[in-house]
Amino acid sequence: MNILRRQVCSTLRRPIARQYVTARPFVPPSQLDQVDPFPPRRRGRGRRKNPDEEELDEEERNDEISGPKAKPESQSFYTGRAIYHDNLIQLQNAISRTRGTLKTLQLLPLPPFARESLIQMQTAWKTPDELAREFDTNMTTGRYRRVTALLNELHEYYRIAVTAKHPQLADMIDDILRLFTSGKKNQALAQGKRKKVQLDQYGRSYTVGKRKTSSARVWMIPVKTPLPSSSLSSTTLPVEDVLGLSETERLSIPVPTSTILINNLPIAEYFPQPADRERIVYPLKVAGVLGKYNIFTIARGGGTTGQSGAIAHGIAKGIFAHESDVGDVLRRAKLLRRDPRMVERKKTGLAKARKRYTWVKR
Amino acid sequence: MLRSCLTNSTRCRPSLSSFAQRRFASNDANRRLQDDNDWTEFQANRASFKSLVNGLSQYGSTQARGNTWKLRDSLHNPSRNATISALLASGAHFGHASTRMNPSFMPYAYGTRAGITIIDLDQTLPLLRRAASLVRAIAANDGQIVFIGTRPDLRPVVQKAAERLEEQGYHVGDRWLPGTLTNKWQMFGHDIVRKERVVPDLVVVLNPIANMNAIRECALEHVPTIGIVDSNVDPRVVMYPIPANDESTRTAEIIAGVLSIAGREGVMIRRAEERKRLEEEERRQGMEEREHFSKQQFELDKKADANAFDY
Repeated sequence: MNILRRQVCSTLRRPIARQYVTARPFVPPSQLDQVDPFPPRRRGRGRRKNPDEEELDEEERNDEISGPKAKPESQSFYTGRAIYHDNLIQLQNAISRTRGTLKTLQLLPLPPFARESLIQMQTAWKTPDELAREFDTNMTTGRYRRVTALLNELHEYYRIAVTAKHPQLADMIDDILRLFTSGKKNQALAQGKRKKVQLDQYGRSYTVGKRKTSSARVWMIPVKTPLPSSSLSSTTLPVEDVLGLSETERLSIPVPTSTILINNLPIAEYFPQPADRERIVYPLKVAGVLGKYNIFTIARGGGTTGQSGAIAHGIAKGIFAHESDVGDVLRRAKLLRRDPRMVERKKTGLAKARKRYTWVKR
Repeated sequence: MLRSCLTNSTRCRPSLSSFAQRRFASNDANRRLQDDNDWTEFQANRASFKSLVNGLSQYGSTQARGNTWKLRDSLHNPSRNATISALLASGAHFGHASTRMNPSFMPYAYGTRAGITIIDLDQTLPLLRRAASLVRAIAANDGQIVFIGTRPDLRPVVQKAAERLEEQGYHVGDRWLPGTLTNKWQMFGHDIVRKERVVPDLVVVLNPIANMNAIRECALEHVPTIGIVDSNVDPRVVMYPIPANDESTRTAEIIAGVLSIAGREGVMIRRAEERKRLEEEERRQGMEEREHFSKQQFELDKKADANAFDY
């Protein structure tokens, strides 16, 4: 064992001769002015070929530039990410110039009460992918944050210039900021906000409600109130007077009624259980619009509870589309929220989702 | 307002300008600026106070912005020559722990104090001047000089240094990508490597420990290097070491300032020589043209004489 190890160690310890070979022997010039700064490029047989240079054709070799080559233009050339660093430097220069200008205009440093009075402006910078294409580098989070930090600082100065009414300065800053603003600004700003439901040409709203695995498509249209009859045309009678009216007169006052159809069947037929019907009508009661809308729904998937819950969700959204004032009331009653509870899966080793098998001591 | 200033006088004496400004500002401290008039008034108040201060300042101290020392001067306004007192003030003589001292650094060490190697600034200064004259000579011969400083506090230093050399200066403020010189065909593409000078003529490294890749590549590509070597580094990693504290920003600003100003002088020398050469060329061309014309004229005169006949 010892002999083997010694042999292995000796082979490893033998120095691996690394040779730094030059193509031709180096002879230093005796005088510095004998050095030719632009020697002619020899492409002979003795020259070691760089594998990357094999692509040169005969024509290209003859066309090659001999003599003084140009210097790289960008000062950040040796970073490997010239465009990105040049843009950073230009933004920094713009910030320092703007800061000087604002100081001259007595707008910097801004006390807190003045800062609160600045006009609110929202920004939507280009996404990391868009900037990666522009700067020709992979935009990691760190690099993106460096760019956006500078852009936000410049945007602050833009807000100051706009609020204090200095249009030329504001325009100059905006010229720079526009290069980095996303083209899809409206989309970016509307992210996270729910799209407003539009009523169609007939005044109908179309909303979708979901619960468990059911989904319901709900159309709601306000009930057309019939014109009041000639006998009670001008005045609206108070309740006491209405109650005191005779039978015929009471019958002539129109009472608005609405219909709820689910899969083309009336609600009483589709949901025989009163609990389901209650669940569907609850949003209308909460908003106080019980007889105001005719509702047509198509419900699919799930069972009775799921479908009734989905229809209720859709009705709540539809009411919000017609009248946004009741939004607060519906939200507090948690009717606009899609109930996220779903059937929990069964797990291995358990009888059901949570039910365990009988515990046995041995 | 006044009483609080008096009670706090032992702790902090606010300067006249800030105290007076606070007096002016207290009137509109809680009022928000609603419309254009408010903003104009706000600006006008400040401007009037500023003009008052400027008017009164001619009767006060003679210290002005131009002749006051500012912290930012070492970066934006460095001096051409470094002095030992300036290097001492920036802490250039502080090396690393004596236990970590590299044995090859011994010639540049002055001694030990408080467990730290003290660097001999009497040797730093002539080495810095040698490096500066090297930078000047390379710049005067149209050489490309790269400044490498890969810490966030060194980034503006190398940027400013490269700006001073204009088209001959380059900087690397973030991580040096391995293979920039040894793998240039893949890094920059065939067109650029064939058409442009990718290998620089001089590299100045402000923090060599973090940039050993760059130093190694420069050695492989036969690029001379200047570097700030600290006591835990072998000075032979770079061709022209400058023994100093590599962790101090002020030291790096002083050294980079000296080198970049020398480089700028080299650039100016080259431009002056170019201009002189062009003028010589033009003068020579003009003389040649004049000679050529006079010769032509002489020939024509001769012909005219030959063809002339006596009346």
